Amino acid sequence: MTSGDLLLQQAINGLSLGSIYALLALGFTLVYGIMELINFSHFNVFMVGSMFAMLILQALGVVGQETVMSGVPLIAILVFTLAVTMLLCGALGVSIERFLLRPLRGIKGPAAMITTIGVSYVLFNLVLLTLGTDAKNFPNPLPPIVWQIGGATLRLREVLIWVIAILLMGGLTYFVQYTKIGRAMRATAQDPDAARMMGVEVDRVVMMSFFISSALAGASGMIFGLYYNLAKVDIGFAAGLRAFTAAVLGGIGNVPGAMIGGVIIGLVEAMSGQVVGTAWTDVVIFSLLVLVLVFRPAGLLGRLAPNKS
Amino acid sequence: MSGAVDFISKPFMAIPEDKRKALGLILVAIILLLFPLLHDNDADIDTAANALSYATLALGLNIVVGFAGLLDLGYAAFFAIGAYYYGIFTSFQVMPLWSGVWSPFAAIGLVEKINQGGPDLVHFTLSFWIALPTAALVSAFFGVLFGAPTLRLRGDYLAIVTLGFGEIVPIVARNLDSVTNGAAGLNGIQAPKLFGYNFGISAFPYYYVGLGLVALLIFVSIRLRDSRIGRAWMAIREDETAASAMGINLVRFKLMAFAIGAAFAGMTGVYFVAKLQTATPDMFSFNVSSMLLVMVVLGGMGSVWGVVVGALMLQLLQTWFLPQLSEWLHALGDVLGNDWLRTVDMVQWTQLLFGIILIFMMLFRREGLIPATRKVPALTFQAQHAEVTRGGFANLENIPRWQKEGGKGLEIRGVTVKFGGLVALNGIDLTVPEGGVVAVIGPNGSGKSTLFNVITGLVHSDAGSIKFNGVELLGLQPHQVLEHGVARTFQNIRLFPNLTVLENVLIGQHARLTTGPIGAVLHTPHNVAEEKAALDWVSNIIAMFSNRLAPRVAQAVGGLSYANRRRVEIARALASRPKILLLDEPTAGMNPAETLELAEQIKSLHTLGLTILIIEHKLDVVTKLADTVVVLDHGDKIAEGLPDEVRRNEQVLTAYLGRAARAAVMESANGN
Amino acid sequence: MISRRTTFKAAAGVAAAATLGSQQALAADKVLRIGIDLSFTGADAESAARVAGGGVLAFEEANERHEVKGYSFEVVKLDDATATAGQYDPAQAATNARKFVSDKSFVAALGPQMSGAGKAMAPILSQGGLATITPSSTNPDITNPKFAAQYMPAGKAIYFRTVATDAYQGPNMANYMADTLKVKSIFVLDDSGAYGVGLADAFQAQAEKKGIKVMGRDRLDPKATDYAAILTKIKALGPDALYYGGVGQAGVKLFKQSYDIMPTMIKAGGDGIYGSDMLKGAGFPACEGWYATNAAPHVTEDPKTAKFSEAFHKRFNQFPEDYSATCYVGAQVIIAAVKQIVAAGKEPTRDAVRDAIGGINLKDSLIGPVAFDEYGDVKNKIISVFQIKQNKAKPLDDPDSQFKYIGIAPQA
Repeated sequence: MTSGDLLLQQAINGLSLGSIYALLALGFTLVYGIMELINFSHFNVFMVGSMFAMLILQALGVVGQETVMSGVPLIAILVFTLAVTMLLCGALGVSIERFLLRPLRGIKGPAAMITTIGVSYVLFNLVLLTLGTDAKNFPNPLPPIVWQIGGATLRLREVLIWVIAILLMGGLTYFVQYTKIGRAMRATAQDPDAARMMGVEVDRVVMMSFFISSALAGASGMIFGLYYNLAKVDIGFAAGLRAFTAAVLGGIGNVPGAMIGGVIIGLVEAMSGQVVGTAWTDVVIFSLLVLVLVFRPAGLLGRLAPNKS
Repeated sequence: MSGAVDFISKPFMAIPEDKRKALGLILVAIILLLFPLLHDNDADIDTAANALSYATLALGLNIVVGFAGLLDLGYAAFFAIGAYYYGIFTSFQVMPLWSGVWSPFAAIGLVEKINQGGPDLVHFTLSFWIALPTAALVSAFFGVLFGAPTLRLRGDYLAIVTLGFGEIVPIVARNLDSVTNGAAGLNGIQAPKLFGYNFGISAFPYYYVGLGLVALLIFVSIRLRDSRIGRAWMAIREDETAASAMGINLVRFKLMAFAIGAAFAGMTGVYFVAKLQTATPDMFSFNVSSMLLVMVVLGGMGSVWGVVVGALMLQLLQTWFLPQLSEWLHALGDVLGNDWLRTVDMVQWTQLLFGIILIFMMLFRREGLIPATRKVPALTFQAQHAEVTRGGFANLENIPRWQKEGGKGLEIRGVTVKFGGLVALNGIDLTVPEGGVVAVIGPNGSGKSTLFNVITGLVHSDAGSIKFNGVELLGLQPHQVLEHGVARTFQNIRLFPNLTVLENVLIGQHARLTTGPIGAVLHTPHNVAEEKAALDWVSNIIAMFSNRLAPRVAQAVGGLSYANRRRVEIARALASRPKILLLDEPTAGMNPAETLELAEQIKSLHTLGLTILIIEHKLDVVTKLADTVVVLDHGDKIAEGLPDEVRRNEQVLTAYLGRAARAAVMESANGN
Repeated sequence: MISRRTTFKAAAGVAAAATLGSQQALAADKVLRIGIDLSFTGADAESAARVAGGGVLAFEEANERHEVKGYSFEVVKLDDATATAGQYDPAQAATNARKFVSDKSFVAALGPQMSGAGKAMAPILSQGGLATITPSSTNPDITNPKFAAQYMPAGKAIYFRTVATDAYQGPNMANYMADTLKVKSIFVLDDSGAYGVGLADAFQAQAEKKGIKVMGRDRLDPKATDYAAILTKIKALGPDALYYGGVGQAGVKLFKQSYDIMPTMIKAGGDGIYGSDMLKGAGFPACEGWYATNAAPHVTEDPKTAKFSEAFHKRFNQFPEDYSATCYVGAQVIIAAVKQIVAAGKEPTRDAVRDAIGGINLKDSLIGPVAFDEYGDVKNKIISVFQIKQNKAKPLDDPDSQFKYIGIAPQA
């Protein structure tokens, strides 16, 4: 492997990680943009999504690394699993919002944020108590197709992850830009009071933002499982913090910012593994988070969230 | 049964309340002191000692989260710093080569010479009793270090950054092998010795040290809470902007909260690893920080006794109730023949319960089990129904007249403020002579409040100069502006809603007091005298409002009527002994009678010699009070003069009323 | 994490004691408590259950046969793993050691499973004078007289082993890789734990001596998920082989990702990757081809030990692994020591048991002759080599059928 190949290979690794983080970062950004709330439950909605996807695949008969599929059945099974996972996670997010956060809306101080920490804890421990702490062998139905690009290796699963991520991000962008509810969401993010006066149903907008962000977390959880062939109860924290860093880096509340931030964090993680050593990756990423917040709190693309005083 | 209860409780209830409290406290203290002697089980005493260390951590976090309102999710980092500090200086991890330089340290017992089969090495043997206070300093240093870059951030960002720091510290501990021995942690950490007695592995000496530590930290917490510093923290928690306008240096007091909270954690770290004789990175993960948060939330944010009770309750839940419950369930399972019940381990459910507790408390009891603010008895009918008083402030005999110092008053020259493309103030000139009353009027959006904000340092100015008695105010922080004698109220009332009337007004005194944390804890004569003087002064101020405020001093201001909240805000501003008072629409929302009352009261302040700059909509009030009226419109000064002149000014009427109405007014004015 | 764990363990202990207690024959017997500290939850849980089984079985048999007159044994199990760590946690191990030491009815202990736990426990056990016999922790520092001030502050040996140490496990495997596998260059990884770092260090030193070119050394964060970056780097360096010193938590992820990135490279590790945790978590084909070692003779397939395997299976409904045998032998050592003291007409106190263990000499145990040197290490040191070879006829998570025994690694 030449150093060029190595760089290319780490870029491939970084892009795959970045896709996972970007999908997750979108969820932080949407909810923060609309509610000014750091949603800590997002961390473990992601983890639960990965578990949902695993259980669905297993229920469909895809177990471990043995079941290899291809063609239409493979696509059908992936699309089905993705759709059901996203729906389940979306429903989970909506129930969290409806029953636990809505009663707190309008209350000053950290009450809502502390509640999301509590929800995160509950989700984590429910999974821990039912499925255990061990690393699960996430089902992998993908055929072992590999392309060589010079000395670098590109696997089917990486391409698949990118495709899923790009489709979802494209869909979200379309949704936010061109649909009625999407416009309502943007309006609420700009100025919730004005939006309400103009007839936007804020409750519906908030619920929708929770549905979308949780569904994206579910999708992210599923592709995480496909990428690592692993599901584990403690994956939410590390991935969630990286995704949050990505959202801040891109400018929290900013949808394209979250995508770009996610990819950057993925690349940073891959490169720091190459250069500084894997054990220090977290330190690199958190230092980045602190530096961005302190010196450029609006992020790279600027913050689109309202400037409430 | 009830007879027996009566037998005990009746005499107890007969004791006056404050003595009853003291008696209860002494009883609890005796029980805690005797516990290891009555209950001879080393394992249980060890558990109790662990519980005490949680109580100290919760007390520390309470300073940061409960008092100052800074949501710190990485608090365990400071616990780790204290722990590793003691661990490194007493274990066998860092052992430089022995040389003569070390001999003096060996003589005072800080190091010893050992040999592990190579050259002689230095083994650090830092005394526990030295480590305890120095760890507080070391952790406090790191508290300032981590706090400094982050405290400018908004509350929610602060949470995530502290979470990041909370993660970084254990990772660094995991990876700096040469110093920390990585994930395996530090082993062979030295147990404390006292007069030759080695604490070793027996639990009961640790229990007493822990008890002493909890007592000390409760004492420190209460002393700080009831001081100028505690009031400043709570003001920051309630409303940062108002706190800084009342003279509180935000950065300084936030850092102080971080540092003192960190110091508590650092001491606990030393205590904890001295007992366990091991320190590993996993002891300080996010789980610890969040568990402490659960304790503080459960007990009551800001409530000293509450967080101690919260910590001990959660410990009891984990160490006694859940294991018991598991056994009951096992027994039930045996009876019912249910395998799940037979094997369920409820202790594994602890963290699930923590999550549920957090959610439950936030939804249904945000103030915690033992709220920091106590309920006060409802007011009597008479006290509630104050009559409108006339003729200005009452009880002025204790208020000294403002003496003319020959200063130039407030001089504003060419001040311009822009928000993006919008010009909020455009080259404004304005003078308030010493002892004068100037009113600023203008339609909504004309820049009146912006003018106040730029004077008090809340808004940055692009050009011009604002001098008060010759001192340039532009560029100063809000708290520095107050220190120069400029106090203000806010158009939309910015009080500290969860604090009492008395506390709110006392915060006005903040900038005039000098007690630091040490003075506050030790109750130095200076501190005692200062607090007494402050209380006297504040009582005099409150008395000026006669029975409007006096019966309500112990009530939280959040529950007061609108007019009373306005009065508290004025009292708070007066408490700072201002040289000039900036009143932003003081009578807004008051009925005519109340408006008249307040107008006369402001007039009486003027009579006492206080310089006043007032924003007011009600022209009759303006006419009654002001020497000079300044009219703003769209950021421009369109008129200045005597109230009557301005009233007839065409431009003003146009700005206020539009053209058609102006014509009507002019006609009627001419008719007069 | 401070005392939540404490109690959890206490509760588990009570439960374990209760089940054993019901089988005790003579009410008049004095009860001697034996602590077992292993990592019963988290990444190494499966293995811990099997290891503990060996000890439990030995004490149950002794109680049944009334092996020691007037005394019966009661086993109390404590878990040194925590949810926070996801695997063994030294702080929890220290807490457990305090529990054992603070209760005078404990006369000896078995465990711990992991060296990181052992390092935290040893100083406390030493001060409390409580001997422990570890069936699987292999880090040599704990019994190294150089570090006596740290790990045996009270002076006497208290940390006994029925396994060899990494001073043999690592180097012997280096010999095997150089001599038999003809490895010329290698990359060494560890999982940042005490065991993993020590094993990798010992391996690396011997590998260098044998002329294997060490192309690099890096550390895995066991809690991180993504090792692709470092593995890509290793692939680019192109060594003949990869050696991993560490346990299952990082191991599972390493197995999967190294299979993706460099499926054909020779990969090896120590006893930390021997067990069903790896087979379950990583699965095939990721596991295929990995070499692993055990710091004990391979006995579970030995016809001489068939009786033990049968009894074990009958009692626990699963088959033992080699460290079940070392744990069983550890328990036999304790029983023999107590028997010796009682036969001499003395009280089996903690101190007496500790001293007696030091002098025990079992001629023919499951793992051959057992006697300890003056620091507590077993004298007969054997390192067995295995390779994972998928055997579809047997359960895919059964280490006995999926880890194929290759032989004994040459002594360094």
